[in-house]
Amino acid sequence: MILRIEMTSDTPIYQQIRNKIVFGVARGYIKPGDSLPTVRQLANDIGVNPMTVNKAYALLKKEGIIVIERRHGAKISDCRTGGNAFESDFDRRVELLVSEARMKGASKQDIKKHISDLIDTVYD
Amino acid sequence: MLQLLLIATWLIFGTMSVCALSYKDHRDNQILGVTLSREHAKHPEVQKVIKKFKIACYLVLLISIAFSFLMPAKMIGQYAEFYMLVLITANIFANWFVIHFYQQGLLSIKKEKAWIYKRTRVVTVDMNVSKEKGKSSVASIWAWLFLFLSFIPAVFLLLHAKARESYPIGFSLIGPLCQLNAIYLYYQMRHRHVPALSDNTEINKACARTEERINTMAATLLAFAMFVFWVMFNISVIYEKNAIFVVLSAIILVTVPIMIAYWQRKKIRTAENNFFGEMQERDIFEQESTWKWGCYYNPNDPRIIVPKRIASMGFTINIGNPVGKAIGFGIIVLLLLIFSTIFYGGFKDYTITENGSRIIIDAAMYDRSVEKNQVVSLSTIDRIPVGTRTNGYGGLNKSYGHFSINGYGKCMLYIYNKVDKYIVLKLKGDNPAYIIVNDKSQDKTERLYQEIKRWLTE
Repeated sequence: MILRIEMTSDTPIYQQIRNKIVFGVARGYIKPGDSLPTVRQLANDIGVNPMTVNKAYALLKKEGIIVIERRHGAKISDCRTGGNAFESDFDRRVELLVSEARMKGASKQDIKKHISDLIDTVYD
Repeated sequence: MLQLLLIATWLIFGTMSVCALSYKDHRDNQILGVTLSREHAKHPEVQKVIKKFKIACYLVLLISIAFSFLMPAKMIGQYAEFYMLVLITANIFANWFVIHFYQQGLLSIKKEKAWIYKRTRVVTVDMNVSKEKGKSSVASIWAWLFLFLSFIPAVFLLLHAKARESYPIGFSLIGPLCQLNAIYLYYQMRHRHVPALSDNTEINKACARTEERINTMAATLLAFAMFVFWVMFNISVIYEKNAIFVVLSAIILVTVPIMIAYWQRKKIRTAENNFFGEMQERDIFEQESTWKWGCYYNPNDPRIIVPKRIASMGFTINIGNPVGKAIGFGIIVLLLLIFSTIFYGGFKDYTITENGSRIIIDAAMYDRSVEKNQVVSLSTIDRIPVGTRTNGYGGLNKSYGHFSINGYGKCMLYIYNKVDKYIVLKLKGDNPAYIIVNDKSQDKTERLYQEIKRWLTE
């Protein structure tokens, strides 16, 4: 999987790493059981402090997206088993995004189509 | 000695010119530190600036060499070491000025033509490539082997007490220290980032493997070159006592890394062209703000030590980082200290004054007082046997500080090298066993000898 990190973005780099890995897993670029690069190597390749990558991995571990084994490093976990697809925060976040779109003048049909296209992007 | 100074000066001039000229190449979407796309880099006006820049670099080199021929002149020869430092400083400044001047020229063209690139910096990393790092490198055992072998002079000195008299053991650890740097470079090269220029991960992987091999090969060759230098240098110091071998090894130390860097760049360029064809420029972004006064300046980059623009040429500091700033300031202070020490040492004369039962020798940094009852004997000699400096100043015209002289052992010298008359004070104990002094001429030395003799008999 190819990571594109915007160094000058307002989104923190650790958050970008986390988001890209989530997208990668959702789109099947990386599969459950696949290993991730070491913290040191990924930090070296991106050109950031290892603590930044460590923070991203810790966040992914906390969310159950990866498991970190002492000998084998970080691996993608199988999130489909036992995980709740719609977390408590899910509805609130989507509701907020839909509200923001409506506030800016989008119609119900526009929002439905837009979300449907996004779903297609992730599932195709 | 003067010839050696001249060769060393030319070597430095040559290295500076090669480094300056390397900035003219279009690399990482930059020429002379100015961001330019591949297409814009080929523009006739840009090419014209580069051509003028090349001529200016050669002119700086020629003028510097011409000025170096003044070194043997009588007036300047007296202060040859200081003159050499002034020349080197002037050469570095001239090269920096030429780079800066033509950089401004390129910026004007860029502004005039409205060549604007995005300011967003995107780093592209292929995670599959990252996972494979370190698997295609030249074995690290070679770099480690050269480190262990570089301890041979230290072991030799430990076993031969006589050799330690003319070659301090601390000095023999400089080689291993340099080899340690080569090991650091090896690991930096092994983990060096290779941009993912293709969406095909297999192509990225193949390119990364090739580049890793080339980079680690370059680092290993550099470690080998340093080891060869160290062996030659030690042989010349311990056995030959011939300065020409030292110069020869220094030439190897300077020219071989440049050749290795050239080979590495050429191989990488060929590999990237083979794998990716005509390079895409989707990741081009403005980089002017990341280089200031020839140094890397990026407050958003947490790294303190970063690769130079030509990565194989070593590392530089990020002066945008507070720690990097402190290191940079420290280096400047250290250089000023070295300059002022050489300046002070080169200009200050020795003064020897009587003060009751003692004589006081006033010299830059190596003041010494001798009690009358410490002196065992007083004599004069016309020639000082061969020896080595252990801690002091050994210049073209003057030598002072701690030396180890064949047949005398540990000595303190306060001498003008071109005056063939020396006063030898043998002391009690062996640290130092002798103090050897003279004055600016044979007559003055003779007068000084008579004064010391009178002082001893009083």
